[in-house]
Amino acid sequence: MADNTGNGQKTNGLPRIGFYICHCGSNIAGIIDVVAVAKFAETLPGVVVSREYKYMCSDPGQELIAQDIKEHKLERIVVASCSPNLHEETFRKAAQKGGLNPFYFQMVNIREHASWVHENKAAATLKAKDLCRAAIYRVRLHKALEKRRVPVNPDVLVVGGGIAGIHAALTLANAGKKVTLVEREATIGGHMAMFDKTFPTLDCAACILTPKMSAVKSHPNITLWTYSEVEKVDGYVGSYEVTVKRKPRYIKEDLCVGCMECIEACVFKEAKVPDAFNQGLSKRRPIYIDFPQATPKVVVIDPATCINVKTGKCKKTCVEACDRDAIDFTQKEEKVQLKVGTIVLATGFKPFDPKKSPHYGYGKYPGVFTALEIERLVNASGPTSGEVLTRDGRHPKAVGIIHCVGSRDEKTNKWCSRVCCMYSLKLAHLIKEHSGAEVYNFYIDMRAPGKAYEEFYEKLLSEGVHFIRGRVAEVTDWAMTKEEEGKLVLRVEDTLAGFVRRVPVDMVVLATGLVPQSDAGDVRRVFNIGCGKEGFFQERHPKLAPVNTFTDGVFIAGACQAPKDIPDTVAQAGAAAAEALALVDAGFVELEPNTSYVLEEECCGCKNCIPLCPYTAISFDETKKKADINEVLCKGCGVCAAACPSGSIVQNLFEDAEIYSEIEGVLAR
Amino acid sequence: MLQQNIKYEESRDPDFARWATEQTGGENIRRCIQCGTCSATCPVSSYMDHTPRQLIHLAREGFKKEVLSSFTLWLCASCYSCRVDCPKDIHVTDFMYALKRRAMAERVYPKRFPIPVLAQEFSRMVQWFGRVNETIVAAVMFLRTDWFKLLGQTGLGLKLMRTGRLSVFPESIRGRSELQRMLKAAEASKEKEVASR
Repeated sequence: MADNTGNGQKTNGLPRIGFYICHCGSNIAGIIDVVAVAKFAETLPGVVVSREYKYMCSDPGQELIAQDIKEHKLERIVVASCSPNLHEETFRKAAQKGGLNPFYFQMVNIREHASWVHENKAAATLKAKDLCRAAIYRVRLHKALEKRRVPVNPDVLVVGGGIAGIHAALTLANAGKKVTLVEREATIGGHMAMFDKTFPTLDCAACILTPKMSAVKSHPNITLWTYSEVEKVDGYVGSYEVTVKRKPRYIKEDLCVGCMECIEACVFKEAKVPDAFNQGLSKRRPIYIDFPQATPKVVVIDPATCINVKTGKCKKTCVEACDRDAIDFTQKEEKVQLKVGTIVLATGFKPFDPKKSPHYGYGKYPGVFTALEIERLVNASGPTSGEVLTRDGRHPKAVGIIHCVGSRDEKTNKWCSRVCCMYSLKLAHLIKEHSGAEVYNFYIDMRAPGKAYEEFYEKLLSEGVHFIRGRVAEVTDWAMTKEEEGKLVLRVEDTLAGFVRRVPVDMVVLATGLVPQSDAGDVRRVFNIGCGKEGFFQERHPKLAPVNTFTDGVFIAGACQAPKDIPDTVAQAGAAAAEALALVDAGFVELEPNTSYVLEEECCGCKNCIPLCPYTAISFDETKKKADINEVLCKGCGVCAAACPSGSIVQNLFEDAEIYSEIEGVLAR
Repeated sequence: MLQQNIKYEESRDPDFARWATEQTGGENIRRCIQCGTCSATCPVSSYMDHTPRQLIHLAREGFKKEVLSSFTLWLCASCYSCRVDCPKDIHVTDFMYALKRRAMAERVYPKRFPIPVLAQEFSRMVQWFGRVNETIVAAVMFLRTDWFKLLGQTGLGLKLMRTGRLSVFPESIRGRSELQRMLKAAEASKEKEVASR
């Protein structure tokens, strides 16, 4: 370690600056002559200490800064090392340890900005000197700033009542937090409630899900609002104000016990409405309950088909049948306000619409089904009581499962939906078990990456299910041979055998991929979070912040973030709940002080800044006719400060004088 | 000539697929994940019309004709590399023997290809005499495949005879009828075993 300290030069009234340059092993020192940079920095006005050190971020490195501050009465610190993303906080803390305000510090990124991106050592060293000079010029003007603390409301909102929302809500409620769970449908349970069995253990989905559903219903800390949607979210981390729309179900939830007498009594003697829960494979009445374990176990009246809701002219036999007077046709849509500190979004996915891949004949041939339809078909409480039957009631002798429908396809969706291989294996097993049919799996690649997943694939292989590697080109009823007559024929290259095959089957199952909910775009705007180009909600960091979003206090879990299976969904829901708990239990959030503020006397009230703010942090004070920035919402992006025509918006740490002297420093050579 | 290369359902024989899984060596073929290790490790796969991996897939899918008429069965040198390297513990070499026997029984092996002919003549001679006479086996093999080659080999044959390495007279064991009874009993017990499965 070469010391270039205290040569006794005068600082001429400038703040006393300590400069440190890091070798970062050979990451920086391999390209940049760090000794030369340290010597150079020493000559700059105000610099009283200039050192180079192997690893500034190490404990001795940090200790060096703290000690120098005391010994040399340093008033400003500059560290030239890696990205501020990695160690700005480390060095701020070191400065604080030495008794300095942590914002009397500036970091220079000479690794990502110089040593990693240049090969010419001399030029890279020159550039490092320029960057360091800029930081030294700027740091003189730094001001002491304080981090602000805002309290966090301990109540949590969970949006979406699938397995992710259920698990997150239960975790939070078990930790003693008050949770409001908002679900759009009449019952919680989501897609998992529709599944028959779950891979790879083949335990029944309802058996593992319904206990959690009833736990939600009976938990003293959970308020369950089904048939409701979040309409508006105001506020910021720690204190969100949420508006929830509660749709009328025309049933008094607290009175209904789910006896279903009203359903039997409905004037519709025959069920005529396609049952959405059974994927339209059965019919229901206008007054219905989705499935026997629906939670809450409360019937619901569908306003689109109920004669009384539509016309008001009905005998209302349902009302007569209800001995608890729970049916109430006067119910209106309600808007309810809610105050929470954090939000967990678990709004789930939508299965791909196979009509967008018309070559597979969904909707054209009655023998073509989606995977979710088959889940209902093989389910004992489904439309056929678990019997695998084609739409015209035949027992299929051969069934073909086509993988990657709406996945791995530039024409529909590019991504792999991650769960289809495994659920196809599961359905192959169930179909074979229920019907004894020959089952063919047509796959591109078999993806079984999970605990006991590969073993499940092997189990299916040994069960004698056919695995044909090749993407089916088309499903057709055009027979070319006698045995193809009356069948659906799948034309596929058996790439393992090396020839094209035509495989006749009675039933085709399309393993449809997972896509974002149709209204994911609206939902994301309501909660002010981002999404990727495919429409799934964007996490803050794919590896290190997978359940956080760019909006503090809003977390995501489950398939709304990306396709994932039940174990991963539950794990992620637990993680989202833990992140929310971390905020709630800390009781406050610390805000970076690099926010903007308005110089009121100079603001002309032009409102230019308001629509530009990506965090909707700026509002207009109508009485004063001035812009007003909410410091809690402000993320310090600086857009408003740059756009303000009168220069009346100032951003902490990025004041004009600071930026100009930084520029001056870069160009001073 | 252009050849149509598409398979209809009629070219499949599900019974053959079932039979294949019942053979010694065939028990595990359903577990095959088609990784191709067998083909990669095989020293003669470069000469095969279907690689061992392909053959296993064709067999379990029931493409009987393609499997039994393949040269692959007869090119297999029984080195057991595939069996050693298989990640799913499939006994590929044993399976090849099962396929060879079936091809022989159905007489669908490639005609005039020396390996199956040699195997057939060898076993026929053992069954008959209890001993093999190389001169006769080789001569018959050449006659049945490419008799012109026999002429080319006569020089070598005569030299070998002169040094006592080849004999023209077939030898025989005593008790040939007992041997035949033994072979019949072995065959019958195998049939019984297959039937009981």
